[in-house]
Amino acid sequence: MSTHSHDPHAPVQEPDGTDEFEILELAVRELAIEKGVFSAEDHRRFSEWAESRTPMYGSKLVAKAWLDPAFKERLLADGTEASKEVGVNWLDPTGTGTPSDYTYFYVLENTPQVHNVIVCTLCSCYPRPVLGMSPDWYRTPNYRRRMVRQPRQVLAEFGLFLPADVEIRVHDSNQKSRFMVMPMRPAGTEGWTEEQLAAIVTRDTMIGVALPQPGWTAAEAPPRSGVAHQSAEITGGGK
Amino acid sequence: MRRFKVGDRVVVRDETTLFHTRCQGYMRGRIGTVVEDRPAWVIPEDEAWGRDEDGRHEPFYVVRFKQTELWADYAGPDLDTLESEFSERWLEPAGEGEHSV
Repeated sequence: MSTHSHDPHAPVQEPDGTDEFEILELAVRELAIEKGVFSAEDHRRFSEWAESRTPMYGSKLVAKAWLDPAFKERLLADGTEASKEVGVNWLDPTGTGTPSDYTYFYVLENTPQVHNVIVCTLCSCYPRPVLGMSPDWYRTPNYRRRMVRQPRQVLAEFGLFLPADVEIRVHDSNQKSRFMVMPMRPAGTEGWTEEQLAAIVTRDTMIGVALPQPGWTAAEAPPRSGVAHQSAEITGGGK
Repeated sequence: MRRFKVGDRVVVRDETTLFHTRCQGYMRGRIGTVVEDRPAWVIPEDEAWGRDEDGRHEPFYVVRFKQTELWADYAGPDLDTLESEFSERWLEPAGEGEHSV
């Protein structure tokens, strides 16, 4: 900026200019309501439905796949179709998906050799029917621009350090397909039920910025010191 | 008829464009390998104008790049990769129609 205002009443600068798009969305929405394209209640209902999606569906998909090799095969072959088995229809609510653009869903399987992580450099493409709304940081230009070119540094900022002999495969989901990561089932979960397993498959493990750990679910408040969770064994040797 | 198949080496076209392409600048002129076929779908250039049905439909492909191919200063190991999807018009066989960046 060429001029810098010291006026204490100057408007607060919003980061990333998101407010401009919010104003645009509001203007278009009001026009659409005025013209009878949809009603305010239609809009509210859609928002409520869309925002009620949670990562629970993705967790179920992963836990089910960990326990059932035949389901895992179906899930990896056709994520859209397999999602119906946990009650998610990607074609809802219009018959062709949301008025956004996703229609194809692919699950990316982590292996001892390959760690997958998702990002959308274009805007904020995210597998919402199975993970719900994306976290705020996922939509920031900082995450988007750095995950594609400095993935190891960004993962380290999330506390995830992967060994140099594991390939990090970044998926820039800026087209029609939506992706979700299927993490590896951690040791120490032998004999667990689907419900127990699903609880440790948290949102971040399905984005690819964390690994599931027995003893950690997003439903419990973290202990005061989170450092204990960064076990060297699980994160591949620490830094 | 699909122009490419899994395993083909391709280069992303580096063209001047206006409006919506879903083809990011950092991938243009870069060489990668086709790793997945995707169904034909309306291309973003037409979808952006609401031409869902009468817009041009093309096959899509997932292309895998080595990170060291995308970024000259990539600091991670040589084995790291990045994947993204492209409509057919954005890809050329590597070696033909290659543009320097």
